[in-house]
Amino acid sequence: MGRVNALLAMCAGILLHGAVLAGSAADEVAVADAYARAVPPGQANSAAFMLMQNSAAVAHAVVTAASSVSAVAELHTHTMSDGMMQMRQVARIEIPAGGEARLQPGGLHVMLIGLHSDLAPGSELSLTLTFEDGSSKQIRVPVRRIAMKMMPHKMEGMQHGKMQH
Amino acid sequence: MSVTGHNRLALLAIFLLIATLGWVLLYWSPAVQTTLNLRERPRGGDFVLDSHAGPVSLQQFRGKVVALYFGYTQCPDVCPTSLGFLSLAVNELSAEELAGFQGLFVSVDPERDSLAHLQSYGAYFHPSILGITGDKARLDPIVESYGAAYRKVESASAMGYLIDHSSETYLIDRNGVLAEVLAHGTPPVDLLAALRRLLAQPQ
Ligand SMILES: [Cu+2]
Repeated sequence: MGRVNALLAMCAGILLHGAVLAGSAADEVAVADAYARAVPPGQANSAAFMLMQNSAAVAHAVVTAASSVSAVAELHTHTMSDGMMQMRQVARIEIPAGGEARLQPGGLHVMLIGLHSDLAPGSELSLTLTFEDGSSKQIRVPVRRIAMKMMPHKMEGMQHGKMQH
Repeated sequence: MSVTGHNRLALLAIFLLIATLGWVLLYWSPAVQTTLNLRERPRGGDFVLDSHAGPVSLQQFRGKVVALYFGYTQCPDVCPTSLGFLSLAVNELSAEELAGFQGLFVSVDPERDSLAHLQSYGAYFHPSILGITGDKARLDPIVESYGAAYRKVESASAMGYLIDHSSETYLIDRNGVLAEVLAHGTPPVDLLAALRRLLAQPQ
């Protein structure tokens, strides 16, 4: 009995120690450049985009999302297939060890479904991201109208990218 | 000597077999190819659909350049991007050019997109963009004649069904002829150039 307990304690110790060393996913994944798309009045849905960066030596993943402005938030992606844009729900968004996941128009996004009110440019919403280890992170997401400027070919470079922020 | 020759031939045959098998496994997807309308040289052509203000026919826009797009308003990303780009281009038109332009957003989701909502949805991007739709029996021939495609997909999402759809923008000249098909993501500057090309053509 004593042995079993000791063994259990050791296992727990190792697990805890590992957890402390690794930190929680919410701590190790930084979110930058988050924004949600402003939508026309009466729209049922919108989408939020962001850059997730994982500083850990292990992969992390977002498994669920919730928002202050919609009944439901889901993880979605887009793929072009058979000449059609296909939007699909995904179970998780992986952020590789030391890498990043970019949620952007035409690809991965947090889908906001059943908006309680119109998303007006300049307003802000809060989004809770929950990770594979159960840790979670709340972020503020500004609402923006997307692509409101003409983008001449020549300005595709650095300055323009900066100017948008 | 001849044994080695045979061996080489055999090796070559095996290699070819593996290569063929690999190709078949990687690229051959007969089921997908046959079930979809693959677009081959779209014809375009006149049609009549419904708007909040009543029936709209393509014919009534003779003399104008028309930009036509198929989508649905619950689309969170692809449709707003396309219409946003179009609005950017249209914003650059002079008042005179604008008088010769009409945008048409055709919803392929008549079940969920009311005519009233389509009206405000189109206008949100630009007052010259009109939201229209009709039942499936009327939509499908139009979608087909323009070489577009869509399909309803059941899903576990809280959205209910989803709609896969092509996302090209179709430009129709002043004579009602389908003139250009612009790929999804065509930059606003290129959209503008294409619009001006067609606006400059005499009727
Ligand atoms: Cu989505």
